[in-house]
Amino acid sequence: MKKLCTLFLALILPVSASADTALVDRVISNHVIPRFQTLARTTAQLAETAAQTCDLDNGQVISDYHAAFDAWVGVSHLRFGPTEVDDRAFALAFWPDPRSKTPKALYKMISEEDPVIQLPANYSQASIAVRGFYAMEYLLFDAPTRELGHGEYQCALFQAMTQDTAAISQDILDDWQPDYAALMLSAGQNERYQTEKEAVQEFFKAALTGFQFTKDTRIARPLGTFDKPRPNRAEARRSGRSLRNVVLATEASLDLARRLGRGDETIQSRFDRLEHVFTTAVAKLESPVFADVMDPQSRVKVEVVQQSVDRLLEYTLGGLGPYLGVAEGFNALDGD
Amino acid sequence: MKTLTQLAGLLAATTALTAPTLAETAPEKAAVISTYADIAEATYSDSLYAAKNLQSAVAALVADPSAEALQAAKAAWLAARVPYQQSEVFRFGNAIVDDWEGKVNAWPLDEGLIDYVDASYGGATDENAAAVLNVVANPTFQLGGTDVDATTITPALLEETLQEADGVEANVATGYHAIEFLLWGQDLNGHDAGSGNRPWTDYAKGDDCTNGNCDRRGAYLQAATDLLVSDLDWMAAQWGADGEARAAISGDEIAGLSAMLTGMGSLSYGEQAGERMRLGLMLNDPEEEHDCFSDNTHNSHYYDGLGVQNVYLGEYVRIDGTVVSGPSLADLVAAKDPALDAQMQGKLSNTMMALGRIKSAAEAGFAYDQMLEQGNAAGEALVMGGVNGLIDQTRTIERIVTELGLSSVAFEGSDSLDNPGAVFE
Repeated sequence: MKKLCTLFLALILPVSASADTALVDRVISNHVIPRFQTLARTTAQLAETAAQTCDLDNGQVISDYHAAFDAWVGVSHLRFGPTEVDDRAFALAFWPDPRSKTPKALYKMISEEDPVIQLPANYSQASIAVRGFYAMEYLLFDAPTRELGHGEYQCALFQAMTQDTAAISQDILDDWQPDYAALMLSAGQNERYQTEKEAVQEFFKAALTGFQFTKDTRIARPLGTFDKPRPNRAEARRSGRSLRNVVLATEASLDLARRLGRGDETIQSRFDRLEHVFTTAVAKLESPVFADVMDPQSRVKVEVVQQSVDRLLEYTLGGLGPYLGVAEGFNALDGD
Repeated sequence: MKTLTQLAGLLAATTALTAPTLAETAPEKAAVISTYADIAEATYSDSLYAAKNLQSAVAALVADPSAEALQAAKAAWLAARVPYQQSEVFRFGNAIVDDWEGKVNAWPLDEGLIDYVDASYGGATDENAAAVLNVVANPTFQLGGTDVDATTITPALLEETLQEADGVEANVATGYHAIEFLLWGQDLNGHDAGSGNRPWTDYAKGDDCTNGNCDRRGAYLQAATDLLVSDLDWMAAQWGADGEARAAISGDEIAGLSAMLTGMGSLSYGEQAGERMRLGLMLNDPEEEHDCFSDNTHNSHYYDGLGVQNVYLGEYVRIDGTVVSGPSLADLVAAKDPALDAQMQGKLSNTMMALGRIKSAAEAGFAYDQMLEQGNAAGEALVMGGVNGLIDQTRTIERIVTELGLSSVAFEGSDSLDNPGAVFE
């Protein structure tokens, strides 16, 4: 199957693909597709496990959940094209949630035993606050949520969530290959990507946005201010994944940034050094959920992790950008 | 004779069309930036003028409360939003505006901080311990562990003590939306049509007062309105001939043009298409309406979009009908790449058409709340029409950034890169 797809892509490539298009081709084949394949496979596995047991503390359920969430974080920087069709990526991952929409909506849904979960077609129209990995986390790890309503409803809700997540993940993969890959590889000949550079820029922006979200949201939210640290705002703290997500997201953006840097030695050695700074900083953290932010002395260590992500962002912007000849552009984080 | 004149005119037009490189002379970049600053000055000055009208209407309401006086104040608030929303395009690119904006237009808010709310609103949350503080009902209270004396409600109390109290952004004590809540009250209609329904007697004197503390409510409303006027007065001055905002973009042409395009792109994409429109739709949540108390969200979105178009075309229609215009970004782009200019103008028009559809449907009775309801396909299509237009125009704004050569960010060496160990020192 994989070979067929590769063959198909090879056929639609112009005979003399430019360096930019060849680069886009390699990024799609080696970064995008394998990662979305992993997301589709792990979410399908989670749905299958959830269909077989109503025990939400079951070890297989928990490990499948983590594997699927890992896979999501590994593509969470690729927010364009197939993930933005309908409300796909938002439904997989609605966070941050500063107004606590997810617990409020789940409370209402479970208390009222909302029948919307009975049909996938209906559930897929439900609020993004009750769908995806962050809503699942409440069902698996949040004691007050677990005490709501009946066990059978909670089980059916979790099954609906996992099926929805698997379906969306498969849809994203199906859109990527071959259609969206073909669109990016025909950059310069379509309206969406009007030059070959625009396709390169899309990936460049994805790497940047990934670093930026990790720095400004995943780390900055729990940091809060010195006088008012906010450990309760750490991402996925109920499942103990806050730091893990920072590491996986940073590695994912870095993998993309490295690939965009081709074999350029200066760029690769800079990324090597910056990655070393990042992993060294991460190794000094003790809490997987950024509880360190409360103590002034260990808080500094979290700030160092944030700075190390900022340096990756800064170098990607100022070093990789000019090398590729592309601009920063706009992203979804530009508002306030 | 007439035919000859027409023919000559036609020939002239044809010549102009076939020789665009001759017809289009690039304007001076400084002149383009100057037009932008002129539009900013006019937009904020109009916002100030309209806010003063609101201030008078509020004073009349508090002095002599009546249903008519409340209605007049609401009308003045709605009118004040027209110029202000068009100013939002000056955010994101100008630090002086960004540092100030939260005082006048912060949103969303936990309105229970200010005044009474319905029981369905809930209580204090994980995120905000002051979510139901109710300053109107409580002359003294504790806030973030400190005793606060709010016996007299003043602009200083709102600005210095209550705004973003406890470091929580949802504690919005000042600006348009605090005033909006005090005029309309909570919108308890859910996904049905209808705005907040605060009775005018919430401001009545003596025994006619409903929901208690009418005098304090009136004092809060006046303090918030006075503060809005003084904040807008300050910002309008920043864009005057000697203003700092004007000076900040006039010194460096690249920085000035970048500020213009950054504001256009950031407002279009991250802020309006994402945070304000698409998120509310995906959450199916009427509380996610931008002007939720007054049900004015369709106008809020429309005039935000118009502001983006104003900056590109270098033209703003003032609230007295006069026009401020001059050399524009459009002229600059057209001189370099007429096709790119046509693409930009086409996309801005598409967006305004899409936002206009939301506005006309809402004004005809299909409220924005209803558009957000789960399963409302027509509403979703209307809102997504606006979202798609805004996203699409952002792509062309990016192309303009590239075309005008504003994208090259010089990379300067830094200690942290040359010496990675430095961050641990």
